Amino acid sequence: MIAAIARKEFLDAWRDGRFRIAAVVVLALLGVALLMAWQQVERTRSERAAAAVMERENWLNQGVKNSHSAGHFGVYVFKPLAPLAVFDRGIEPFVGTTVFLEAHRQNQAAFLPAQDATAMRRFGELTAAAGLQLLAPLVILLLTFGALAGERERGTLRQVLSLGVRPRDLVLGKALGLGAALATLLLPVALLGAAALATLPDAEGGGSWVRFAWMGGAYVLYLAAILAVCLAVSAMASTARAALAVLLVSWAANAVLAPRLAADLVQHILPTPKLVEFEAAMNQAVQEGLDGHNPRNQRLQTFAQETLKKHGKTRIEELPFNFNGLVMLESERMAGEVFDHHYGKLWDRLEAQDLTVTWAGLVAPLLGLRSASMALAGTDFTHHRHFSVAAEEHRRDFVRVLNEDMMNNTSGGHHGGVADPSLWEKLPAFRYEPPPSAHALRAATPGLVVLLLWAVVAWIALLVVAPRLKPN
Amino acid sequence: MLETLKLTKRFNGHVAVNDLNLLIKPGEVFALLGPNGAGKTTTINLLLGFLTPDAGEARVNGASVATDPIAARRQIAYIPEQVMLYPRFTGVENLDYFSTLGGRRHTREELLALLKRAGLPAEAADRRVGTYSKGMRQKVGIALALATEAKALLLDEPTSGLDPAASHEFSLLLRKLAGQGVAVLMATHDLFRAREDATRIGILLDGKLAGDYATNDIKHVDLEKLYLKHLRA
Repeated sequence: MIAAIARKEFLDAWRDGRFRIAAVVVLALLGVALLMAWQQVERTRSERAAAAVMERENWLNQGVKNSHSAGHFGVYVFKPLAPLAVFDRGIEPFVGTTVFLEAHRQNQAAFLPAQDATAMRRFGELTAAAGLQLLAPLVILLLTFGALAGERERGTLRQVLSLGVRPRDLVLGKALGLGAALATLLLPVALLGAAALATLPDAEGGGSWVRFAWMGGAYVLYLAAILAVCLAVSAMASTARAALAVLLVSWAANAVLAPRLAADLVQHILPTPKLVEFEAAMNQAVQEGLDGHNPRNQRLQTFAQETLKKHGKTRIEELPFNFNGLVMLESERMAGEVFDHHYGKLWDRLEAQDLTVTWAGLVAPLLGLRSASMALAGTDFTHHRHFSVAAEEHRRDFVRVLNEDMMNNTSGGHHGGVADPSLWEKLPAFRYEPPPSAHALRAATPGLVVLLLWAVVAWIALLVVAPRLKPN
Repeated sequence: MLETLKLTKRFNGHVAVNDLNLLIKPGEVFALLGPNGAGKTTTINLLLGFLTPDAGEARVNGASVATDPIAARRQIAYIPEQVMLYPRFTGVENLDYFSTLGGRRHTREELLALLKRAGLPAEAADRRVGTYSKGMRQKVGIALALATEAKALLLDEPTSGLDPAASHEFSLLLRKLAGQGVAVLMATHDLFRAREDATRIGILLDGKLAGDYATNDIKHVDLEKLYLKHLRA
């Protein structure tokens, strides 16, 4: 019985010209979005790889200079783009792609792709993720609003129920049939996506496929929840028009209102400092210590005395190494503590904001889906943080090697002596290992839990509503 | 067999069906006459289990509509004033779908034969029903009753809006079904069709059965007089 109903719904959907038109439009949009994103990811990846090679050459060919000057010469490191950015660019357009590594400073990633965009970009990007998050629910809505309310209005519901069909079987059959119609529409998009993914290098050695599979699961949960909600509304509404009105308002609340409202609310509840305030506080802490009562000069004086005492000397010049190099090492260590504290606090706050928005997905499921989708695509904040930490670790290693060289191989002040150019080669190029899929899954867990809850509750609600289905 | 025992239904204090007792045996065609609002459609809805009675009980072939509506409906074929079908499906596809829902699977040949028996032109069977006339849709409804081998037939103004020829054809089919032992309850305004097709006629006024007559005992003219007399009483 359920199979017969599902089959009929599936055929009816495909025979409906409106659905076919919607299918062509959605397929075209998602297909174009995927192709464009694939091209963009390919281009960005090759551009960043080429820039990394050029930057390495710049570093190696910087010429003869003091190692401290080399520290200020610095290097740029480039954030590799995750292969699944083909589907979901997440926060990528709004966070930097490049970090300048230099002595004394932990810089934030700069050169935001959104800065290069035209004003038209403010309307949002067309990505496969956006299509599935916003358009697919609209298609479901158009497919289902009249599924039960429309049949009631036309009188076919009376006809069907008069035959002794259990309302629950009818609703389940409709859900399966309409779900299958939707699946045939989205399957080519998934296959196209898989083909695009297969052409991109997978730094994780297959991890991208694990992420892709989980991403598919997240979208299935989301769309299944939307399908159940739409059918439940159609079952309860007195007319198809009423069902359509309720569903359109709900779609707008979920897709348009909730993300903006959540972003504003979370900034109100968990505010982040302005960039200028953040930098000022960090610079002050570098100068005055984290507690504000331990000035840098005083700490370095104490450090000098302790060093002299340790080596049994009374004057700096008597030390068997360039003390300025050691001071650089120590001040980098002290600054590192400040950076860890300030950036750690800021990043923890940003992650807390993201988590709060994700749990707000209990009200609007799109928020949960977006969080899970970005995390699995490797384009969420946790991945950006992972890259930023890796870049900073590289900076500290690179500055340490230069300072050690200054300490052991030069004499005089900061800029005294010159480093052997072979030193440049001793400093390895930045190689970023993206986090494994387990990291992505951990980050996506709250979003997946939200989606699972939505799917379970929506289907239970549908099964509760079904037996109360009224023929008139 | 269709049966109602002291069946009562109220809507916001208004009594739509009042203490109604009916017994329609296999092979009987019971025409329920009455003005608009007399409770004819409510009685059918109560027999279908689409409404819950405030008192009394409805039964189909012994199955209580209140306690086992699915079993009761499984024995019923329902033909409303307008048989509603799925316009993007052909006649044979609609019949296939509805008979499957009614628990009977048929081959395509069987379905075509059923539509033919119901009087649907052969060329129409594979046409989408969006192009069907009302009479053709009613015939698909009759074919469905044949396909599900229903024990009882509930008809709500089945010939309303049909032209005389289509109405006559419908009557013939109805009599054929009754001849096969189907119990038929037909709510109608059509005194002529009631006199022609029914074996018994009941007059329903304000939800109450005001009269119950064997058709053989009354002529056309008498039926009209009888009906008007009940209305004026």
